[in-house]
Amino acid sequence: MHIGDGLIPLSQAVIYWLIALAFIIKSLNWAGKEMDEMKVPMLAALAAGIFAIQAMNIPIPWGTSGHMVGAALAAIILGSPYAAVLLLTLVLVVQGFLFGDGGVTTMGANIVNMGVVGGFVGFYSYNALKNSIGMVSASFAAGWLSIFIAALVCAVEMYFAGTFPLVAGLMFMGLYHAVIGVVGEGLITAIAFKSIMLARPDIVSEKSMARVAA
Amino acid sequence: MSYNKIIITGAVIAIIISILAPFLASSNPDGLDKNLIELVGSGNPEQAEEIIGERVPIEYEAPMADYSIEGMGKLGEVGAIIIGTLLVLVISLGIGKIVEKKQGT
Repeated sequence: MHIGDGLIPLSQAVIYWLIALAFIIKSLNWAGKEMDEMKVPMLAALAAGIFAIQAMNIPIPWGTSGHMVGAALAAIILGSPYAAVLLLTLVLVVQGFLFGDGGVTTMGANIVNMGVVGGFVGFYSYNALKNSIGMVSASFAAGWLSIFIAALVCAVEMYFAGTFPLVAGLMFMGLYHAVIGVVGEGLITAIAFKSIMLARPDIVSEKSMARVAA
Repeated sequence: MSYNKIIITGAVIAIIISILAPFLASSNPDGLDKNLIELVGSGNPEQAEEIIGERVPIEYEAPMADYSIEGMGKLGEVGAIIIGTLLVLVISLGIGKIVEKKQGT
């Protein structure tokens, strides 16, 4: 759902950039306070992996495709939605400036959708669900919900931009990303989360651990 | 040292994905592009591109547009994604180093 240049008028693109900048500053504050010697390599490893997997589009019906965003995974592993904001910002800056994936004027909107919305929805839905359905299932649900809600927000922005009609935009953005969300986001998030838990449970943020019944 | 082990594990997985991506990735339009074709271009990708092209406020030419290096085909695509992957890795480690230094003082 990388929005390219021309899809949002400059006057609106500036607003998304300002919102994005506010969250980027908060994410740098988070990094300054919370990043320790285990979170630094984890953030770097996740960022590299998420950049690469974003280049892997998975086919879905209707002649369409989609790829993982990775915000939920980053927020869960690193224990903060701001981790996802920081990571997705890095990924989107490299994608936009080097590879033309997502526009330059619209980069703020992309950071808001994938980093902020994806990260916050992923983080809070995971935390709401981890004690009742278990950590791995919760990571799946958080992954799915994060890309689905981000796609709906993107559709609303496209409506304000005069690019999509509201209902059709919401319906099709929602439909495509609901499908992409199952394998492309939910399943990969759950597999990556489970793998990291098996390999190094100590580096998963304590905040993301479920309460164990006594 | 586990610090390096995490980075190396992440980098190896990321590079394997980078090598596979150009061969395995679907070339179908993604969800947003599909909507652009249907809702903006009335089903015609060229028409959608033309309409959107006229609205671009600032022209920016990416050096490796569409994850490719001119004239290098699939190898260029693999190379482009690996360059991006390593760049993301280096930038995030750089931010980590700055943070650690600040925390140290």
